[in-house]
Amino acid sequence: MERRAVYRNKVLPWLLIGPQLLLVLVFFYWPTSQALYWAFTLEQPWGGGNLWAGLDNFLYIFRDDRYWGTVLRSAFYALAATGLSMLVALTLASFVDRALKGTKLFQSVFIWPYAIAAPAAGVAFRFIFSPEAGLVGAVNDIWPGIWDPATNGMHALAMVIVCHAWLGIGYNFVFFLAALQMIPRSINEAGAMDGARPFRRMLDLQLPLIAPTAFFLLIMNIISSFTDSFGLIDTMTEGGPIGQTEVMVYKIYVDGFKGLDYSGAAAQSIVLMLLVIGLTFVQFKWVERRVHYN
Amino acid sequence: MIERSPFFDALTYAVMIIGLILVVIPFWVVIVAASQSLQEVSRVPISLLPSDQLWANLSEAWARADLGPKMLNSFIVAIGVTIGKITLAAMSAFAIVFFNFKARMICFWLIFITLMLPLEVRIVPTYAIAANALLPFQVILDTFGISWLVQAVSGIQVSLNWNLLNSYTGLILPLVATATGTFLYRQFFMTIPDELAEASKMDGASAMEFFRDVLIPLSRTNMLALATIMFVGSWNQYLWPLLITTDRANFGTVVMQLKALIPAQNGTPDWNVTMAGALIIMLPPLLVVAFMQRWFVRGLISRDK
Amino acid sequence: MMKTNWLLGAALSATALTFVASPAAAATKFEFWYGLSGDLSERVQEMCSRFNASQADYEIVCVSQENYENNLQNTIAAFRANKQPTVTQISDGGVVDLMLSGAFVPVRELMEKNGYQIDWSNYFSGISSYFSTSKGELLAMPFNSSTAMFYYNTDALKAVGFEGAPQTWEQVEKIARDLKAAGYECPIAFDPTGTWQWFEQFSAVHNQPIASNGNGYGGLDAVVEFNKGKFVDQLGWFKKMTDEGLMVHKSKAAGETANDAFTAGKCQMSSSSVADHGSFAKQAKEGVHWDVTVLPVWEGTERHNSLVGGAALWTLKGKTEEEYKGAAAFYNFIALPAEAQHWSTITGYIPVTNSGFEAMKAAGFYDAAPYKGRELAIQSLTATPPGEYTRGIRLGNFGAVRQEVAKAMQSVIFDGTDPQKALDDAAARSNEILRKFEQTYKGQQLP
Repeated sequence: MERRAVYRNKVLPWLLIGPQLLLVLVFFYWPTSQALYWAFTLEQPWGGGNLWAGLDNFLYIFRDDRYWGTVLRSAFYALAATGLSMLVALTLASFVDRALKGTKLFQSVFIWPYAIAAPAAGVAFRFIFSPEAGLVGAVNDIWPGIWDPATNGMHALAMVIVCHAWLGIGYNFVFFLAALQMIPRSINEAGAMDGARPFRRMLDLQLPLIAPTAFFLLIMNIISSFTDSFGLIDTMTEGGPIGQTEVMVYKIYVDGFKGLDYSGAAAQSIVLMLLVIGLTFVQFKWVERRVHYN
Repeated sequence: MIERSPFFDALTYAVMIIGLILVVIPFWVVIVAASQSLQEVSRVPISLLPSDQLWANLSEAWARADLGPKMLNSFIVAIGVTIGKITLAAMSAFAIVFFNFKARMICFWLIFITLMLPLEVRIVPTYAIAANALLPFQVILDTFGISWLVQAVSGIQVSLNWNLLNSYTGLILPLVATATGTFLYRQFFMTIPDELAEASKMDGASAMEFFRDVLIPLSRTNMLALATIMFVGSWNQYLWPLLITTDRANFGTVVMQLKALIPAQNGTPDWNVTMAGALIIMLPPLLVVAFMQRWFVRGLISRDK
Repeated sequence: MMKTNWLLGAALSATALTFVASPAAAATKFEFWYGLSGDLSERVQEMCSRFNASQADYEIVCVSQENYENNLQNTIAAFRANKQPTVTQISDGGVVDLMLSGAFVPVRELMEKNGYQIDWSNYFSGISSYFSTSKGELLAMPFNSSTAMFYYNTDALKAVGFEGAPQTWEQVEKIARDLKAAGYECPIAFDPTGTWQWFEQFSAVHNQPIASNGNGYGGLDAVVEFNKGKFVDQLGWFKKMTDEGLMVHKSKAAGETANDAFTAGKCQMSSSSVADHGSFAKQAKEGVHWDVTVLPVWEGTERHNSLVGGAALWTLKGKTEEEYKGAAAFYNFIALPAEAQHWSTITGYIPVTNSGFEAMKAAGFYDAAPYKGRELAIQSLTATPPGEYTRGIRLGNFGAVRQEVAKAMQSVIFDGTDPQKALDDAAARSNEILRKFEQTYKGQQLP
């Protein structure tokens, strides 16, 4: 989607973009380059020196089955949370788009989760899912020990994923609804004239048309599953039990900041960064090149 | 809708109501728990009806987590970030979309990639930067021998130092540096037809006049949407403020206080106070989203039917 | 708006350059970061106010960083950014990293330079062996020292016919069974992340090596050995006790800590630091009567001294002479007999000097409630002279090694992993951590 760019000026664009570039360089690229350097050295925790280590830090994490466990867990987390959230949001948006009476009320409530801070939701869901408190924990009165995120890693992970998916509903819903409402009415009418039932029309006509939005959301959701998960995990499980809710970002934080292994954490950051940049790049090409509609 | 189908309408309502329950349950639980006494909240199973202790719990949470000054800090940071980001993002997106200069795509990617690497993973070096935001320039000066030169000529030792720890600037600037705003503005500017700019050019308007008189007014709804996103995003920041404010009493924000409110940090499992605190903390961004909703949604839709 | 501010700020600080204005005659401010929260944090704040009120030359600013771990991380981040506090409180786990970092001023040097006379030999040998060089030079100022103790509910034990304090694990197991049979739901509160009391102290009291080279004192090439000694069986015993419901998982993650469950009277026995003696007395519910004793040992084992826990105050490099003078004055202040005794009284931390302990004992401090029982901590710490495996643990990045042991304990308790396998695994990972640390500080020796 190339714009026939209209202004030519040697200085002005730099003045406009300069402040942001400067901030990005100072607060992003400078620290990142430092982390990059650490990834190839053994950095002393208190500063004061480091030794060149070549690819050792990378070989070390690639040999570590716990690291691969974290990678798989992150992938599962990203897919499960994203899938769950987008599915719920899309379903709600499709029905809200029918604009029946009273829909506005539903519409406004569906956006609410967007406003909630991940740690705040984490605290709330921790109470909801707490095995000793009276909500989900009440099942333990009927079948003792059936629900225990404090010791069971699967339970803990499920709890975090559900919370994450819930948080994403608002954002996904807004975008899906926006996309659905942008579909020209005539398409729907033509479909109706051809005798397609409402449900068929949803599946065959509307869904393909909102594909670009779906892809955009996929990127945003996956990114958020890497970033927002921090506040959630930190307030809900702190990575436990036995590290079974540690996803890549949280492990980087734990290994680097808590475990004082700056070099190992830096190597992990590089892997994560490459992974996400690669993913995004593919998605970007897809959204901007392949899927056109109007 | 085009035609009525009673069965499908019923299904629509059913799905929407289920969705409503899904979305509202956590809020409801927070409110209910926040209104109960310690005995009530500890009951298994818990009653899902509100009780009468809301005010007591709210004030207890307010006092325990020292939310008054923290609230003010959160507002200062959120508003600072919102204003800063809207301004910077509009400017840089304008440059990227409407100017033809060589480094345009590089600049876009330079900015865009910052979305990819969350703060959490580069926390230690970023902290060092916050302690002295001018460090990169110092290093540049040192590497090229400029500082040596200055010292030799004037006898002044160049040491650039700008500490951002425990300051509003430190809480705000790094958050302004991220790319979400630029990205959203770019998406919007891309939808502006070229003809509009061409026409403005024909009228003899300069680039900045086009920016001021055409683009800014056109993007008003987007700006409101962006403002909402930025406000919510910065209010909800967690790790960054946690890290750079060692002086929590004066520069702490409310979201940082959440962990201090979790039971088992303080003895009794008083989830009612925890939930009351969570309620206070989640309210401002929730109100912003609720009030801005119309513009928020429309700003993201960006085109009318 | 933002842009001009930014540039202005940059310009201002650039012009400020290095003409450091000479400080006014006002009191020299310096920072002290510590890792205590809640009740203990308030006690520290009171101590700081007393110091500030006691003289006019210095003003100490005391900042709580919630816990030791946070304090260590934040201190390091600040040190790297050259924004470190003058004084920081670092616990046993962070000692080696700090020793090799060269980031501190040894306390002895600091005090001598500023003209304070301190009788260093007066400090408890357990404390000095933890925070001294191999030549016996104390590097950090002893501040809050403790050891692990065994707490029990006297009423519950009486109810099942046990008089006195349990001394062996056999007794503890029997009491737990009787309590269970008598309808007590939680005989022993057990936190599987509590490696300090359940693993490290167990190893010391039973004289079991945690690592070769005398727990690492002999050099950075030590390897861990906790997977070879009695702790393997002990972990199996924890598992058995948990499965039978005699030990019950209590932790922050489970919604209630072991300490809270004990003071609420829900659990009848627990192991925790002697430093909690003060807060237990405060927090125990009406009608909960409890007492404290030394850690149990297995029958037929000779009891060795337990390890010193807690933390010491480290003076960080890179501050001004004035600030160091302030830090020295502060150390001198907390070492004053009256101040040290007050601190020990209100918290439960042991008096760190021999003379301090003797004075308190002579004054009858330990003879009556609520302080009775605390002298057992000293008894535990001095059961034998510190030996190869009981003088401390000197392993690099020990915090990370602890995490591995905690994971092993959890995986045995939660997932039923075989104790030997879990500990072998933890040992392998711990050794990798140690090798990486050795590699990072290649060519350096422990001081």
